[in-house]
Amino acid sequence: MAEVNQLGCLFVGEGVVLKGNFEVPDIASISGVVEGELTAKQILIEATGVVHGKLSGETIDIRGEANEFVSSTRSLIIRSTGKVTGSIHYSEIEIEKGGHLHGDLHNLNPHS
Amino acid sequence: MSIFSKNSTPDNSEDKIADEQSENYSDAASVEEPVAATMSSYEVARNEAPSRPGISKPSIISEGFTFEGTITSDGVLNIAGTVRGKITAKSVLIDASGQVDGELNSDQLVIKGQLKGEVNCEDLNVGPLAHVDGTISYKYIHIQRGGKVSGKFIKN
Repeated sequence: MAEVNQLGCLFVGEGVVLKGNFEVPDIASISGVVEGELTAKQILIEATGVVHGKLSGETIDIRGEANEFVSSTRSLIIRSTGKVTGSIHYSEIEIEKGGHLHGDLHNLNPHS
Repeated sequence: MSIFSKNSTPDNSEDKIADEQSENYSDAASVEEPVAATMSSYEVARNEAPSRPGISKPSIISEGFTFEGTITSDGVLNIAGTVRGKITAKSVLIDASGQVDGELNSDQLVIKGQLKGEVNCEDLNVGPLAHVDGTISYKYIHIQRGGKVSGKFIKN
């Protein structure tokens, strides 16, 4: 879907290093390195992708590495190759076997 | 009749053995030894039989049952009731109705119910209806979609 309509999407290829704050209206697909703040509706960290900094989005799918802060208002999936450290806020979480999780976990709506 | 026969048959057989032995050995003191040997081998066989299924059979805290204190087990522990305290076991399953409040140490841990406290395990599996809160240190983790987890997670 993203390949057809790339409106409001950010793709960071492997080997690319991006520094700064990013507001992405739709999908952010990261195969390279992002340092800073990234906000998107949907965030995909591919197996080679690394994020240092703040990550916020509705749905977040991590096959690579996310450090420091992750906040997902809808669903957070850490795949078997994924590695997440730091403070994590979620409303729905799934971790595949082999996924790496190190840090503080917070449920955004704990009474549901 | 059957009760008597149960008790009397081993006695009779021992008597018979004793009789046979006393026939073989004229010395009365040497008779005691073989009798004791047959007794011990009989007991070993008796102890071995229930211990083997005991390894695979889980210990169960049933639904509606509340336990406070320390549980230590080398085997499998199924918790469908409530446990407050310290648990140490090889494998622990907290069922959907199960609740644990306290410290938990195990190699394998499956959580379908509720858990609050300090957890130390190798292999952690959190089910979709589970509620987990506390400090969790693990080697391998799997959280199924819908599982509610909060607290500190430490990967060893």
